[in-house]
Amino acid sequence: MDEIKWGLIGPLLALQVLLAVIGLISLSKAERTRGPKWLWVIILIFGNLLGSVAYFTVGRKDN
Amino acid sequence: MRNIWTLYHKEMLESLRSYKLIWVPVVFIILGIMQPLTTYYMPEILKASGNVPPGMLEGYEMPGSAVVMAQALGQYGTIGMLILVLGVMNSLAGERSSGTIEMLMAKPVAPAAIVSAKWAAQLTVLLMALGLGAAGAAYYTEQLMGPLSWSNLAAAAGLYGLWLLCAVSLTLLFSAWLRGPAAAFLGLLAAAAMSLAHSLLPSLLDWTPAALTAISAEMMTKGKGLAWGPIFSAGILIVVCVASASLFIRRNQLPE
Repeated sequence: MDEIKWGLIGPLLALQVLLAVIGLISLSKAERTRGPKWLWVIILIFGNLLGSVAYFTVGRKDN
Repeated sequence: MRNIWTLYHKEMLESLRSYKLIWVPVVFIILGIMQPLTTYYMPEILKASGNVPPGMLEGYEMPGSAVVMAQALGQYGTIGMLILVLGVMNSLAGERSSGTIEMLMAKPVAPAAIVSAKWAAQLTVLLMALGLGAAGAAYYTEQLMGPLSWSNLAAAAGLYGLWLLCAVSLTLLFSAWLRGPAAAFLGLLAAAAMSLAHSLLPSLLDWTPAALTAISAEMMTKGKGLAWGPIFSAGILIVVCVASASLFIRRNQLPE
């Protein structure tokens, strides 16, 4: 375990980024959210896994 | 039958539009591969955190692949269940408050068809998420810890999925009756109460669906065989939930 194995960490990072990107796309299309939109942008970008889960479960208002 | 298929199609389209069909599986994959990764890098993580008492790291022993895989499945029992339950809480409650149910009921659509289509759509999301997540976790575990028994893994993941499906079905039932958040709360509460009761009286309650998680872990780690009691009771619970949800929808069409 001398060096970081990017072959193993890489997919994890890619999935995290994918999740945040899907969240941002969904946010840009959403008409109404619970709480201000700019806050959700910050949460999606810096909140990692839990930030995205929070947005998808409680952040959106179902029409 | 054709009604169910049409409604199911609509549900799947809806979950694709809301990105649910993508984000739930992605979260399950991340949860699954995080477990073997953090276990593997635990000494490094502890070292980086700074205040590890000397001599503690020498005693660290890498757990076997089967144990890590059972832990990865365990992640789906906590965070995974929370995500699934929050996803299903509005499925009937939302339709009631938006008035879609009344519109559907004005047509010759059986309440059972509406509920079954919703349930089948949730099952599809669950299968995709759990299948991809368990496959990802198994791949990482094999790479980092060593070989796994694939037949045990498939059975263990299936048992876990059945337990998750019980929680989803319970939430669907409550969603036919209450508002979304209340339905999610009661669904989680019922699942938690069942597993608490099972952990307090394991010998008395080893036929309940709550025993599925323990059987799944034992199958993974010790290669124990199937127990049919919990599987049957889980099946009955799911059927009862779907049937009673249909009854609730028929009776109580208006919200509140």
